[in-house]
Amino acid sequence: MRSYLLTTAAAAALALAMNTGASAAGWDGADDLPTSPLACDASAPAAPAAKPYDGGKAVNAPDKAGKEISVVDVPKLIGIGYFNATSKGIADAAKDLGNVKVKTDGPTEAKIDEQIKFIDNYITSGVDGILFAANDPVAIAPVLKKALSKGIHVVGYDANSTPDAREWFVNQAEFNGIAKAMMDSMAKEAGEDAAFGIVTSTFTTPNQARWIAEMQAYGAKCHPKMKWLETVEAQEDNVLSFNQATTLLNKYGDKIKGLFGMTSVATPAGAEAVTKAGLCGKVAEVGLATPNAMKPYVHSGCVKSVVLWNPIDLGYAAMYVMRAVVDGKLKAGDASVDAGKLGKLNVVNGSEILLGAPYIYSKDNIDKFDF
Amino acid sequence: MSTIALSGASSARAPFWRRLSSQEMLLAVAIVGLALVVGLVNPRFLSANNLADILLGNAYIAVAAIGMSMVIITGNIDISVGALIGVLATVSGSLAVAGAPIAVTWLAPLVFGMLVMGLQGAIVAYVGIPAIVVTLGMLSILRGGLISVTGGKWITDLPDAFHLADIEIFGFIPMPVAIMVVATILAAVWMRWWPLGRAIYATGGNPEAARLSGVSPRRTLVLVFVLHGFFAGVAALLFATQLRVIQSTTPSGLEFTIITASVVGGVSILGGVGTVVGSTLAAILIAEITSALVFINISPFWTHALQGALILATVIADIERRRRRLAGAIR
Amino acid sequence: MTAVASSNRASRARIFLRHETILAAMLVVALFGLGLFNDRFLTIDNLLNQGRLMTEIGLIALPMTFVIVTGGIDVSVGAIVGLCAIVLGYSWKNLGFPLPLAIVFTLVVGAAAGLANGLVITRIKVPPIITTIATLTLFRGLAEGISQAHSVRGYPDWFYFLGQGDVFGVPTQLLVLFLAIIVFGVALDRTTFGRTLYAIGSNETAARFSALPVERVKLAAYTLSGLMASLSALVLVSRVTTTRSDMGMGYELDAIAAVVLGGTSIFGGSGTIWGTVIGAVMIQLLKNGLALTGVKGDATIMVIGVVLIASVLIASSLQRRRV
Repeated sequence: MRSYLLTTAAAAALALAMNTGASAAGWDGADDLPTSPLACDASAPAAPAAKPYDGGKAVNAPDKAGKEISVVDVPKLIGIGYFNATSKGIADAAKDLGNVKVKTDGPTEAKIDEQIKFIDNYITSGVDGILFAANDPVAIAPVLKKALSKGIHVVGYDANSTPDAREWFVNQAEFNGIAKAMMDSMAKEAGEDAAFGIVTSTFTTPNQARWIAEMQAYGAKCHPKMKWLETVEAQEDNVLSFNQATTLLNKYGDKIKGLFGMTSVATPAGAEAVTKAGLCGKVAEVGLATPNAMKPYVHSGCVKSVVLWNPIDLGYAAMYVMRAVVDGKLKAGDASVDAGKLGKLNVVNGSEILLGAPYIYSKDNIDKFDF
Repeated sequence: MSTIALSGASSARAPFWRRLSSQEMLLAVAIVGLALVVGLVNPRFLSANNLADILLGNAYIAVAAIGMSMVIITGNIDISVGALIGVLATVSGSLAVAGAPIAVTWLAPLVFGMLVMGLQGAIVAYVGIPAIVVTLGMLSILRGGLISVTGGKWITDLPDAFHLADIEIFGFIPMPVAIMVVATILAAVWMRWWPLGRAIYATGGNPEAARLSGVSPRRTLVLVFVLHGFFAGVAALLFATQLRVIQSTTPSGLEFTIITASVVGGVSILGGVGTVVGSTLAAILIAEITSALVFINISPFWTHALQGALILATVIADIERRRRRLAGAIR
Repeated sequence: MTAVASSNRASRARIFLRHETILAAMLVVALFGLGLFNDRFLTIDNLLNQGRLMTEIGLIALPMTFVIVTGGIDVSVGAIVGLCAIVLGYSWKNLGFPLPLAIVFTLVVGAAAGLANGLVITRIKVPPIITTIATLTLFRGLAEGISQAHSVRGYPDWFYFLGQGDVFGVPTQLLVLFLAIIVFGVALDRTTFGRTLYAIGSNETAARFSALPVERVKLAAYTLSGLMASLSALVLVSRVTTTRSDMGMGYELDAIAAVVLGGTSIFGGSGTIWGTVIGAVMIQLLKNGLALTGVKGDATIMVIGVVLIASVLIASSLQRRRV
């Protein structure tokens, strides 16, 4: 009993010591990058100064222009709807192109060490190209550089690596664009003075961390009266996301007017929490999600807007970019690339290809999508 | 038979006053105490809504911990249960989407769970391979198999009637909570007063003595695994029907959460000791801690460290209490 | 007493020699089978590279063998890897330690974490699996708390030699692993310490009555487990050039699988380092070979699961026949 009391006392002391700033105020994304909030109105952002190409280069890659290539797609993890959709897009593009053999393979949990081993194995097995969505931008760099050094083309999508470890990155939407869409949607639905909470995967997931940081910067600039209550972690776990969302609703009661879901897992779970608590119409759920999981809530009117790019298009574009690189049709300094049915996509930030502005799904159009 | 009673249920037969200092009592006090302390900081914690939600969202862990406790009491362990719950949830959801009658979608995970666990139990009991090895292998097989079969596609578009977890008995008791309470009571009563239930303790406490008194440790072991599969099926059903989406991955570390609930509940990993009332209380306590840390504004970066410290403190307390009682008994 | 123990050990050694021989034979067959399907599998380059990738698990599996031989288990090692990765980055970047000092500090922290496990297990007598399940959450939580989600990058180039460099064409960390295998192998097989580990695993009470330093040896086994986990963290950080608090997640199960596949009884009292090494190599090369043959990751994990159960099944049925 004595040691029980001791340990409990130690835990309590630890709790008090750490009881600082649970609200995410001052959150910087933990990656030492600056934020760049967009303009508050809908004006197009000023064209950024053109940046020279900063990607890497596959060394002595065999010339396979127009010939059949084999490509592997290694997403962050397999078994979630989102990456299921990107790999469908990749397969669709391979079919349209007709000269690409592609397969998707990856870890069943979003673990960087596992992902590295998958890529390493595919380097040895001798593929012509690797498509990836990184679990960690820095940790994945050495193995990608190894691929480049063996003449394998490397193109990223969804989650970037350091630029010099890949040739191109297909960017679904810029971080500040997502942040603007999310904050504007929330302000419209919950009011300019609304207080809100956030459910995210983990604080170390790069994209989510960046989005939250950009949301904070944009919020401070364009919606200064909105109140940021708290950010909680829920892994990529359905039920935990639901529990955490419910906890936030119960903790803040009437004070909370909005709930953000930062992942395609957290958003439907948050919507379920709002529904079960009978708070539809009182608490706005806004978040990133895939349409199928959100249909029940959008149809019931509980959720008004779901922010996302089309992940099928994202995969599709990534495959076309890969083909263009192999065929020599996309080189350093080019301003755009042809992406099949998606038309021409623009090069931004030196070595990124931008898919477009984020898409907002609503009652009117959600049934057109099936993924 | 008397030897079994001694090794099995010394705590269960103890007089009431002594049971006050049992692990179950300690946990109950901790649950109430924590609620009061957090309630002082933020009274909203004590709202009926919040307390119900804590139970509702974690009932499936408590239910799975019932079967896990039985397995641990026999001196075995199962680390495949997290992956199995994922598989069973997918089986149930797939049937529902395919239009199977609701009763079938609810029964299928129970039956399938009993089959898989029964198979593992038979390997452990009759081939003599340690449970940790069998279940470690099964963990890989189930996790890989789930992705292979589903291709990673989520199950959506579930029929409304499928959502067992949404039913409220008498209009206010959520089904998961009712199932958790009823299952715990039935299992506890069965393990304390039925001969077959008591045989579980005998098997874990002293298999040789159990054999001599006419209990077949092997058959008991298979039975325990089958029951564990049943409870895993119920847990999977609650897990699957709570939300409108079924993922084809399971929460990583779910097996550890379930095992933690059992051992914090006072189930001895060495076998022979513990109750399912304890494991259910422990599951509730762990869920309560998770929620409480949000309510009292602990930085989210430190929540897992605190959870770990509190879990460690609880198991240490349990061991110390048991040692003191043992010392007292000898004196 | 000692005579009985040693004769016991001799017969046991013969049986487990058999287990390892069977396993080694299975390994060879699997290797050549897979080699037939893919000409990129049995190449020096690939095998050395696989060695690089398996080092982190291998380093953890060695002391895990000790722990399991005593009849214990340590499931907190993956979390210690995460904690140590963070401690390395934090002490270097935030506390301003010179990197060599930070490395030493990391090793000390790892050993201390293992020692803490050992103390709770030997002094308070909390069963190992319970202790380490609790400290698994605790250590992982400390890693998250200390890092505040920040990664530390940009180490000096010399540090990457450990995880990415070669010595005469052999990956640096593979040499470290070789050295560790020899040290651990000799310690288990040829020293009093090793014999005490077996004695504790066979019958702890008897070992105590034979005046063996049971507590101290167990303490040493868990401390070694923590120390090697921190070494594994250093290798990992050096290989992937950054730190994350979720590093090493799930390593514990991979290491335990290697030990068990290598013929160490989970009940303690028997097992060898050589078996563990074969087990670890087998898992790594199976994963690699299957991947190169075109089998996808999810199917590969299923195969590993079947191999794990099947090999123990075969070994135990052969053993029973002999006994």
